[in-house]
Amino acid sequence: MRGGCRLFPLLLLALLRGLCHGREPAPGAVTCGSVLKLLNTRHNVRLHSHEVKYGSGSGQQSVTGVEASDDANSYWRIRGRSDGSCQRGTPVKCGQAIRLTHVNTGKNLHTHHFPSPLSNNQEVSAFGDDGEGDDLDIWIVQCSGTYWEREDAVRFKHVGTEVFLSITGEQYGHPIRGQREVHGMPTANHHNYWKAMEGIFIKPGVDPAKHDEL
Amino acid sequence: VLSDEEKRKQYDAYGEEGLKDGHQSSHGDIFSHFFGDFGFMFGGNPRQQDRNIPRGSDIIVDLEVTLEEVYSGNFVEVVRNKPVARQAPGKRKCNCRQEMRTTQLGPGRFQMTQEVVCDECPNVKLVNEERTLEVEIEPGVRDGMEYPFIGEGEPHVDGEPGDLRFRIKVLKHPVFERRGDDLYTNVTISLVEALTGFEMDIAHLDGHKVHVARDKITKPGAKLWKKGEGLPNFDNNNIKGSLIITFDVEFPKEQLTNDQREGGCLKAPSRQRGCTDLSPE
Repeated sequence: MRGGCRLFPLLLLALLRGLCHGREPAPGAVTCGSVLKLLNTRHNVRLHSHEVKYGSGSGQQSVTGVEASDDANSYWRIRGRSDGSCQRGTPVKCGQAIRLTHVNTGKNLHTHHFPSPLSNNQEVSAFGDDGEGDDLDIWIVQCSGTYWEREDAVRFKHVGTEVFLSITGEQYGHPIRGQREVHGMPTANHHNYWKAMEGIFIKPGVDPAKHDEL
Repeated sequence: VLSDEEKRKQYDAYGEEGLKDGHQSSHGDIFSHFFGDFGFMFGGNPRQQDRNIPRGSDIIVDLEVTLEEVYSGNFVEVVRNKPVARQAPGKRKCNCRQEMRTTQLGPGRFQMTQEVVCDECPNVKLVNEERTLEVEIEPGVRDGMEYPFIGEGEPHVDGEPGDLRFRIKVLKHPVFERRGDDLYTNVTISLVEALTGFEMDIAHLDGHKVHVARDKITKPGAKLWKKGEGLPNFDNNNIKGSLIITFDVEFPKEQLTNDQREGGCLKAPSRQRGCTDLSPE
């Protein structure tokens, strides 16, 4: 068994987290390689994608906001801006460029100069194959502080078109009734705050050479 | 048989028995009623064929590992935050299904109608909970191998949660190439070393040094096998593969001066003053 932190009761984790500091930097930070769901704090829906293409705009795979908290299609994987640029377990810094890869379809969160279908903002799609898309898959994590902490609401600003990942509440009809439109908008406001929710968070890494085993 | 409500309840109870302990049902009756279905019930995984226990989705997480971790092993700590069904006040409808109901209209006259039948269950709400999981990267692990955590996938309000599976993705290494349990690497030697021999240490994945000594001529593309210096075998860590070193010979970049041509640099022993020009470092 390593360290006493693993033994702390689960539901009290938030309260006792302060006692676990010291072993790794930023223990509550989101790290590369983690898989998570993102909640839009203004509209209370999670970032989501699925094998449904837009009927207009680019015709690429659509990205929406869903109310359910138990849909496996809402999982996104945090990766560096290019392969090898962010090692597993490295905490993501505020201002760092990342890609968000949709776990179930292998496509990256992407935006480009196409209008979004409901609100005429900028269309946000899921693009690429097996995690490889193009340069328009890169987003900057905007937050205050040093690292992207899990409890914090952060913004995602697109590298290339400079828009913020947002939801303003427009809803789709059939066949994805009730799902909200996700788009890019140029202004920073309360519509573009996102918070890490459910997920598999890789703890900030310990160098294997320094790993101490009992 | 399945349209009869009472027999359906018995079938349900029996089907669930494989998953839940302590379910009592009259075995004798069931066997006689279901004799024709005997083969169906005992074939295959009871978990998959039971229509009454819905299951949440599985989550597959790619776990990138370095070749150093494949050699020495490692532990990865992960925090799993997931929604869990918790008791809430009141009741809710659950296990809703379509059933055929047979009602008797009169003597010898029956009517079969289809209706939706639900059970009543305690109300649940989804609450997020966290727990720490530890994934062991075992020495010798191969690309694509999975480490499952049963029940840590997506929940299902009416049934069981799915599983969480970590799938190993071995990253490319800048120095070593893996082929099965063997490791391949390239080393460049100078022309002088190729002709007269050399001695060197190669740093392995865990830092230990592999000593290589040669006193014969080494041709470009020559391979040297070091048994036991490969990766540990996944099934038996005591068995290791081999390290295969391929030598590349670097020829001098500029033309030899007259002095160098005459000066006997190409005769053994090497690495004398004035001959070092021939090695590219």
